[in-house]
Amino acid sequence: MSAPTEIRVKVADFAVANGGTLLVTVGLGSCVAIALHDPDARIGGLAHVLLPSTGMSQDRSNRAKFPSTAVPLLCERMQALGARPGRLRAKIVGGASMFTSLLSATGLQIGERNVVATRAALEHAGIPIVGQEVGGDYGRSVYFDVRDGRLTVKSLKAGHVIL
Amino acid sequence: MNDIKELKAVQLDALREVANIGAGHAATALSQMTGSTIMISVPTINIASLEDVPTQISEPEEPIAAVLMHMVGDLTGRTLLVFPRPTAMRLAELMLRRPAGSSTEMGPLEQSAIKEAGNILSGAYMNALSEFMGLMLLPSPPSLAVDMSSAILSTAFLQFGTDRDHVFYVESQFFLQEQNEHLRGFFLLLPDLASLQAILRAVRLA
Repeated sequence: MSAPTEIRVKVADFAVANGGTLLVTVGLGSCVAIALHDPDARIGGLAHVLLPSTGMSQDRSNRAKFPSTAVPLLCERMQALGARPGRLRAKIVGGASMFTSLLSATGLQIGERNVVATRAALEHAGIPIVGQEVGGDYGRSVYFDVRDGRLTVKSLKAGHVIL
Repeated sequence: MNDIKELKAVQLDALREVANIGAGHAATALSQMTGSTIMISVPTINIASLEDVPTQISEPEEPIAAVLMHMVGDLTGRTLLVFPRPTAMRLAELMLRRPAGSSTEMGPLEQSAIKEAGNILSGAYMNALSEFMGLMLLPSPPSLAVDMSSAILSTAFLQFGTDRDHVFYVESQFFLQEQNEHLRGFFLLLPDLASLQAILRAVRLA
């Protein structure tokens, strides 16, 4: 296999691709990376979501910013490339709490809320989560090989994890 | 003023001056603490969308040490001190009275030294602000994170901000001059929107 083409996904952005592509997003803190894969069609989509709810933002035009809008967005774009909704599998990464000693007494941390909202959005879309590397107190980068759906998660503290 | 994008030029100037006073005091404190010459830049005022902030300060995967402190009292918000890893290590050596280049591990002692340096710096910055404006400002204990720059910065802005679309921050860069080395760091002041208004009132420019 030749080296895949790399596509970088920025914060609150997304990308879909097929064939020999590596979808990459770096420096996830409390943000969550949602990776969807259709193994039969070898089509993948990756979103880097920022906020757990559209209600927390006044500018909702960017659908890749929130889990509830990013999941349908990825599905639409992947279907346009030939993916089938029933075949999609999800892997999620991120949602860390970087400053744990400042945990507020009330409510969840943004990272945890992003993970909860992501799970809800995937369940709503009927997409099973087949791998996850979430929570903790460290940042992560994601390298998603669209050919086989393999996700390499890199971090400074916990080394490499393959999902 | 409901929108940070509506600030006038004279108000931005006043904020820059307020930040300059704070950063000047912080630099003096750092200089006394380390015995090194510290230079500071003219503060810049930045209003950016949340998506763009992390990349404006450093490379997203660059390892940094960041000390976060909350301010409470008449003003609320946060201060964030960002040291790229080489600066953080040297700062720890200076604090621990070790020779240059002798420390490579970011162990508990080094982390504690960096946290304390952050505490002193932010404390000096906040004290200066507080005296200049006649407002009560109380710093919280410091919290340290050592990780990828983008992971730390995006979380620092997201977790605690009140405006989730744009962030307002005043940035002062400082340089530590050591023999042949130039080490840099950033000091970010992140006032809540309501506190921005309080700062402007205190300098009679609201």
